[in-house]
Amino acid sequence: MIDLLPHLINGLTLGLLFALIALGFTLIVGVMEVINLAHGSLFALGAYFALTVIAGSWFSSTPFGAWWLSLPLGLRYVLALAIGPALAGLAGMLLELCLRPTYGKPPLYGLLLTFGAALVVEELIRLVWGTGEQNLALPQAINGAFLLNGMIFSTYRFFASGFSIVAIAAVWLFLERTSAGAVIKAGAHDSEMVRALGYDLARLRLLVFGFGAALAGLAGVVMVPIWGLRPHVGVDIVIPAFLIIVIGGVGSFWGAVIAALLVGLAIGITGAYAAAWSTMSMYLLLIAILGFRSRGLLGRKSALEN
Amino acid sequence: MISLSDIPARPSAWITPPIIVLALLLLAAPNLLPAIGLYQYLGIEIAIWIIFALGFNLLFGYAGLHSFGHGAYLGIGAYAFGLFQHHVAVSLWGGLLAAVLAAGVAGALVGAFLSHRRGIYYALLTIGFGQIFWFLAMKLHSVTGGEDGLLGIPRPPLTLGPWQVALTGNPALFYFAAVLLMIVVVLCWRLANSPFGRVLQAIRQNETRARFVGYDVWRFKWAVFTLSAMIAGLAGSLLAMAQQSAYPDVMSLHQSGLIVMMVLVGGGLVSFWGPVLGVIFYFVARDVLGGLTETWLLWYGLIFMAMVMLRPEGLAGMLHGLLRRSPPRQPGAVAVPATEAA
Repeated sequence: MIDLLPHLINGLTLGLLFALIALGFTLIVGVMEVINLAHGSLFALGAYFALTVIAGSWFSSTPFGAWWLSLPLGLRYVLALAIGPALAGLAGMLLELCLRPTYGKPPLYGLLLTFGAALVVEELIRLVWGTGEQNLALPQAINGAFLLNGMIFSTYRFFASGFSIVAIAAVWLFLERTSAGAVIKAGAHDSEMVRALGYDLARLRLLVFGFGAALAGLAGVVMVPIWGLRPHVGVDIVIPAFLIIVIGGVGSFWGAVIAALLVGLAIGITGAYAAAWSTMSMYLLLIAILGFRSRGLLGRKSALEN
Repeated sequence: MISLSDIPARPSAWITPPIIVLALLLLAAPNLLPAIGLYQYLGIEIAIWIIFALGFNLLFGYAGLHSFGHGAYLGIGAYAFGLFQHHVAVSLWGGLLAAVLAAGVAGALVGAFLSHRRGIYYALLTIGFGQIFWFLAMKLHSVTGGEDGLLGIPRPPLTLGPWQVALTGNPALFYFAAVLLMIVVVLCWRLANSPFGRVLQAIRQNETRARFVGYDVWRFKWAVFTLSAMIAGLAGSLLAMAQQSAYPDVMSLHQSGLIVMMVLVGGGLVSFWGPVLGVIFYFVARDVLGGLTETWLLWYGLIFMAMVMLRPEGLAGMLHGLLRRSPPRQPGAVAVPATEAA
């Protein structure tokens, strides 16, 4: 009998991080009806910008770099947690501007454009940060491991899970309890009506895309210490994110969260019994669930089916 | 935007002028390629990918079914060919048959699962299945060789009765691939302009309407998926011969996306010949841009993005527009049909 508990905890941690990635994704799908295949690339961009902030990798040889690296690691980490997502958000807005000609056309065009964008971002990352695998330096407080009931747990995984829960709750509160959130949700439901009520639809889309991209970037900064940072990390991560959206039902907030936890747990549990096959479990989960519910767990009918 | 339906069908024509032009180009290619500074092997690569792209476009351009996991069937064909050579017999025809059948069976199974789906869900599931096949190729180490690939696949000689030709040299393999390519071109052309092809286009324009008119839409979607998988399998067997090995790499999402990019850049949405242009453009861009810069994919990606934004009808659509500055409007036809604008 394998002790399942560590695997369940790992799975849950992974699920929470997946949920964080999937939220930005589902927000963009819901409001824009764009399947953003570049979401993983925005995740990667957030993480790489964080790398630059923490390690000073562009300016470490300059006098500014020397001063910068003399700052405490904890402070640099907190700054990275803000700057990484912000820059990813800006990149997302740029992508939204590129997407404008595809509105009103079949969803295929948005998907293709973002696929091209993913390719471009990956190549840019290779050009700017190099092709090798890199690591984010973590502050002492959240690094290392602790012992509980005779088992070793990674402190960082607990920090990442807690951070994800807080972030998910914040996004939920923003969508449910603020007027900006109400407009976004209305935009997902009926964008024509939102426009008719006098809201600037173009600006709404730009902001939603920026916000979703910033969430992707945030997930990137938090997740790469576990997942690893390499130029094609975007493609590696966009696939789970994408399956989660489909399993949960395209455009559904809670669907995405539940599906993310399910996928995380599936990977964790398969990891206990057949580690080499753990990634496969999410595809099997996808096919099993779509076999019974063609729109996913909590999905509704949408324009994406046309 | 023009679409495939704006190009009139020629139901009786098996051979058309563009087919003859392509055949002549292929005939001259081994002399032509070195003359413009390229190499023999490129011709084989282009021929293989044109076969793959033409089959793919029956699904993508004609039926409007967006598969993002089609590299899987190319890979299955390559593995089936290699495994046949290793475990059954060293035989060209046997290998080709095994590749087409294996890809066809995989396509038929996946197609049965997919054909009730529409729109983006169809695309999503093709990604899911494509990833499963890729994953299997990576993990079934004892069968596929895992990440290292299936190595040492021979190029069996071509046997037709008493007549035998070795395909070990690149020019010989190129001519063999070119002959298969011409067969695929003629078959696809006939099929696209047959009643079957017309129904596929009806499904693309409005699936619900096609069903209400009385067509068994499920069966057509299933048939075209299986068929395009079989053609991909054929291309895969040639790929296995060309590389003398098979790798899981061709089954990755990245490669499956590349075929979509090639077909779209070429104009597969608006023209039968779009995929051919797209494949040639991709490989020439790879060699020309790749000679200038390490990051050629960055530039190809940017070209692709610009294409999707500004000219989604691709190279073929641009040519079409150049040839006919003012396209003659059919009486009563409105500029854009409602289904295209939706």
